[in-house]
Amino acid sequence: MAFHQELSREHQGITLRGSAELVAEFFSYGINSILYQRGIYPPETFTRVQKYGLTLLVTTDPELTNYLNNVTEQMKEWLYKCIVQRLVVVITSIESSEVLERWQFDIECDKTAKDDNGPREKSQKAIQDEIRSVIRQITATVTFLPLLESACAFDLLIYTDKDLAVPEKWEESGPQFIANSEEVRLRSFTTTIHKVNTMVAYK
Amino acid sequence: MEDLDSNTTVFSTLRSLNNFISQRMEGMSGLATPGSSQSSLQMQYQQRMQLEEQAGQIHSKSQLLQVEREKMQMELSHKRARIELEKAANTNARNYEREADRNQELLTRIKQYQERETEAENKLKEQMEMNKSYKKSMETMSKKLQEKESKLAEANETITILKGKISDLQWNIMNQEMQMTNQDSQKQELMEQLDVEKKNSSYKFQLAHCCPPSHVFQDLEQKLSQQEHDALIVKNMKAELARFPKMERELRQLREENAYFREMKENNGLLKEEVEGLQRKLERYEKVQAQLVTVELENEKLLGKLQSWEKLDQSTGLNIRTPDDLSRQIVALQQRELALKEQNSTFMNSARMLEKARQQLQEDLLRVQSQLVDEKKKREHQEALVRRLQKRVVLLTKERDGMRAILESYDSELTPAEHSPQLSRRMREAEELVQKLHAHHAELEAQLSQVLEEVGNHKQRAEMVSSINFPFFPRLKIEELEAERSKLAEENRSLEMKLEKLTLQGDYDPSRTKVLHFSMNPTSLAKQQRKEEQQQLQEECERLRELVRVLEGGGSISATREGVGSFQSPQEVAELKKQVESAELKNQRLKEVFQTKIQEFRKVCYTLTGYQIDITTENQYRLSSIYAEHQGDCLLFKASSSSGGKMQLLETEFSRTIRELIELHLLRQDSIPAFLSALTLDLFSRQTIA
Repeated sequence: MAFHQELSREHQGITLRGSAELVAEFFSYGINSILYQRGIYPPETFTRVQKYGLTLLVTTDPELTNYLNNVTEQMKEWLYKCIVQRLVVVITSIESSEVLERWQFDIECDKTAKDDNGPREKSQKAIQDEIRSVIRQITATVTFLPLLESACAFDLLIYTDKDLAVPEKWEESGPQFIANSEEVRLRSFTTTIHKVNTMVAYK
Repeated sequence: MEDLDSNTTVFSTLRSLNNFISQRMEGMSGLATPGSSQSSLQMQYQQRMQLEEQAGQIHSKSQLLQVEREKMQMELSHKRARIELEKAANTNARNYEREADRNQELLTRIKQYQERETEAENKLKEQMEMNKSYKKSMETMSKKLQEKESKLAEANETITILKGKISDLQWNIMNQEMQMTNQDSQKQELMEQLDVEKKNSSYKFQLAHCCPPSHVFQDLEQKLSQQEHDALIVKNMKAELARFPKMERELRQLREENAYFREMKENNGLLKEEVEGLQRKLERYEKVQAQLVTVELENEKLLGKLQSWEKLDQSTGLNIRTPDDLSRQIVALQQRELALKEQNSTFMNSARMLEKARQQLQEDLLRVQSQLVDEKKKREHQEALVRRLQKRVVLLTKERDGMRAILESYDSELTPAEHSPQLSRRMREAEELVQKLHAHHAELEAQLSQVLEEVGNHKQRAEMVSSINFPFFPRLKIEELEAERSKLAEENRSLEMKLEKLTLQGDYDPSRTKVLHFSMNPTSLAKQQRKEEQQQLQEECERLRELVRVLEGGGSISATREGVGSFQSPQEVAELKKQVESAELKNQRLKEVFQTKIQEFRKVCYTLTGYQIDITTENQYRLSSIYAEHQGDCLLFKASSSSGGKMQLLETEFSRTIRELIELHLLRQDSIPAFLSALTLDLFSRQTIA
């Protein structure tokens, strides 16, 4: 894990708050894309939305939307506090309770951003371009991932710092590993405050 | 349902028939006195009217039924049409697939054609190149042709020049011929003059002979002289004439010479060409010679160089005879250089590595030295401690001595009998204290020695390290360390790889991280739902199993019904009940309709034909006429087959009384309707007569 964040702290750019919002938004769209591409929910429950210069699919299922909004809001808060390390989308077979896929988004927080309030130099457009390429890659991975034959459900695991107090409606969980998995590392993007490395592990 | 319907129709017809029969039986009693009262006719009329009305109603209902049937048929046809459409769709889909196949074939063909096209293009390019080369050759050829043409023009010019010369010569010849002709004409003139002169002379002579006057003489003399003069001229002319054939000969000779010269000229041209060719050759040879000279010069130079090289070979002692040798030598040298470079780099690397190792060792040394300093400090501390303890020991011994002295003084003062036990106890206590102190002292001394030893060890190690660090440190040690370092680096790399893989798989450090998820996440919800579903299904299965057990054990229908009832939802039951009710209602209505219809039909038959037809038993029909004299008079017919194709008259009491009719109409004419009509007429006539 020898990733060095190149930090430049001149000029106007992105703030910690803005970075947290951007990353949480990326998670929302990324998870929606995964759910659509992997057929976890029926495709007719998705609607088209223009974002990052792409046509993305977003769910219209009210329960799912509610759930995702809950998680995204919580993520935003934790990203702002820089205490979240990882977000994992776990796809589980309902029948056998076997974990079939893990989409892992490693988050590297630059904790120094909490102390100095100065914005970082990186344009919104550059970040969005990076995010677009990540989402494109997520869409493209469907070509080599194995077909999900049985009915599946998904869960979102969030890796946080140990000293975090567990909020209401949340609980601790296992890491949900896949035995004998294949892993593929995808592109990453950075807002200079949060760096998100995307990877997928599958059976 | 349709089966049920058809069954009910059969049943209902039977029932209605029975009803009618019973009615008929009642009616027959009323008809026992036919035509006796008008009121009965009125009643009949009214009844008929009612019946007609009913018939109308029934007719409309039957129309309704027909419409319904038509609707059914329409639905059927609709289904059929849909099936056909589906078939058509299938065929269309197949056609589409075939089209797609064809499309692919066409695509492959297109590809082939494209390949062919590219080939053709390549060929075209080749052809173009060939064309270009041909054009070039054409140009060269045309140049040559031009040269040839220019030469031809030159030749033509020479020819024209020669022709001009020839014409000049001809001119000369012509002039000479003209002169000759002039001379000929002069000669003729002269000859004529001569003749004239001769004549004149002769005349004059005659004249002179005749009349010789002086002046005539003079004239004649003059004339003579003249004549002489003329004769001279003639002689000259003759001489010239004599020269003429010679001149002709000369002319011929000249012509021959001319021809000869012409030939010579041609030869001369040829020779000139040859000369030119030879001159060119000569020039070329001269050039070649000049080149030869330069080449010889170069050759000499090269020889000199070669000699110098050979001398070099001798001087260097290398075996260089040819350039190949030299190049080989150079290659070998380059290889050697490369090898040396590699060696150099490896040496540099090793030097760098050694430098690193040295730096590391220096760092180690520094660390060790700092440790040594620490240890020294510790030792000093320990030594100070020891000194302090020794001091304390001295103090304690002094105290002990003081205490003893005090005790002794006490002993001397007091009687030993009174205080001896107390004192002895104190003594013992004091001695114990002393012993403890000794033990403590010994312990401290042991610690001290240990510390000293440790210090010694450290010193030794420091010395060792310093000795290692010395420029002449043992090589083995370095190599060992190097090996260890590389091993550790490799291990580190492998561990990093493992860590990377584990992070990819989602591993985490449980001491720093915890995994959270939303408690109402979709997976757990789905699992819960599934669990509930499973439970429901299990319950249902259990219930059904129980039901099966009851049924196997020969349980009562009510129990099973209960089971079924409990199994089926009440809604379903209600629905089924409603269906049953509606079906029953329908049945009831149909029954009523059939009954009325059948009765009406029978009554109509009775009034129209005058016979009431009843079915007594299977395939037996009883006919009783409207005009029968007795109530029991009837005819029995039996159908030979169930379809009622052939009828046979059975003998009854009444039939015996009408033998003539039977014989006439049945046996001879073989017509039951005729027989029945005859009987009707007979009975009617009898009644009217009566």
